[in-house]
Amino acid sequence: MKRSFRFVLPLAFWLGVWAAASWAVGRELLLPGPLAVGRRLLALAGTADFWLSVGATLGRVCLGLLWGALAGSALAFLTHFSSWADRIISPAIRVVRATPVVSFILLVYLWVARSAIPWVIAGLMVLPVMWGALSAGLDGMDGNLLEFARAYRFSRLKALRLVYLPALRPQFSAGLLTAFGLAWKSGVAAEVLCPPARAIGSRIQQAKLGLETPDLFAWTLVIVALSLALERLLRRGLERRRGRD
Amino acid sequence: MIELRDVTVRYGDKLVLDRFSLDIPHCGFTALSGPSGCGKTTLLRVLAGLTRPEGGTVSGLDPSRTAFLFQEDRLLPWRTVSQHITDVLPRSRRGEAGRWLAFAELEGEGESYPGTLSGGMARRLALARCAALGGELLLLDEPFAGVDRPRAARILERLRGLGVPAILATHQPQVLAACGQIISLDGPPLKRV
Repeated sequence: MKRSFRFVLPLAFWLGVWAAASWAVGRELLLPGPLAVGRRLLALAGTADFWLSVGATLGRVCLGLLWGALAGSALAFLTHFSSWADRIISPAIRVVRATPVVSFILLVYLWVARSAIPWVIAGLMVLPVMWGALSAGLDGMDGNLLEFARAYRFSRLKALRLVYLPALRPQFSAGLLTAFGLAWKSGVAAEVLCPPARAIGSRIQQAKLGLETPDLFAWTLVIVALSLALERLLRRGLERRRGRD
Repeated sequence: MIELRDVTVRYGDKLVLDRFSLDIPHCGFTALSGPSGCGKTTLLRVLAGLTRPEGGTVSGLDPSRTAFLFQEDRLLPWRTVSQHITDVLPRSRRGEAGRWLAFAELEGEGESYPGTLSGGMARRLALARCAALGGELLLLDEPFAGVDRPRAARILERLRGLGVPAILATHQPQVLAACGQIISLDGPPLKRV
């Protein structure tokens, strides 16, 4: 009861602020109220296109998260164990990290198919985060455990499975949670700037062009709700896994 | 016979082994006795091939066929007690985990994690893991630190029963008394007394 009250009270407060602001502005084109947005959201949710767009965006973001996390993790090991790889690859990853996402979106637009841009961009945003998190974890590895693995004649694969990967799990989880938010935001931004046939970002772009502000708000709400729900799901999954181990 | 000749080991400015020579029998149990910090651990590490001397030679043993018990337990917090044993056993001997847990009197703790073990239990697990790895020679650094005396005596007997020669660094009188040869040391730099 107390918990639901803690959730409902701030929600009611901000909905009230939103409704008051909308009433004060007095023009739905500039700031539609929560009721108008809710009505549009319900209407959109009744269409097949809504769910197909949500599914397609979700798929692209997850694909970006997957390849970015895998590539970032692999490169973290490579740059940790090879000084040559570190000299060559690490500066490039730092450049990727410092480059604004919008520059990447416009550059990638020239090179890959429009439907692939969002997951390519999401992965590019995820990669440096995972690389940074795992590189820090590898630098801070317990030397005693690594020496133990050598003394007990663990093969490289066995040391990776039994020592490195479990020891790096906290950094991996933290990196993945941070990266997920970035993947979601950058993926949708890429969909808005280079709209594929079916995507949340494409619907946002259409709503903006058609000056359908309630639709714009409704799609934004979908993004926020999905992002919060999926982050919670991911956090729970990682915590459950940690509890099992 | 294991022969060390003019072995020199230095940690920064500190000379731990200075042209140190020693013969150690490659049979039975040999104890290395001496005050803390005299260089016993370094000597064991040199024998295990974990510390490379800057000078001198070691002959009469193959470091890759030794099993080394570190002074610290070095257990993996994410592996169960049983897994610590099976991790060092070849696939064909995985069924022996129970035997090694009984060896260290850790029956019933197979599914426990190191974080839930007492200091003595953790030490016994580390010792069982080292013994399970096996080889031609066991190099044991303070094998019974934190283990109660009656239990240490029983495990020491089981250790003898394995028939594998061992070199132990220890301070414990009852462990020293159970060894066929005691080498008294002092230092640093390490010297025989």
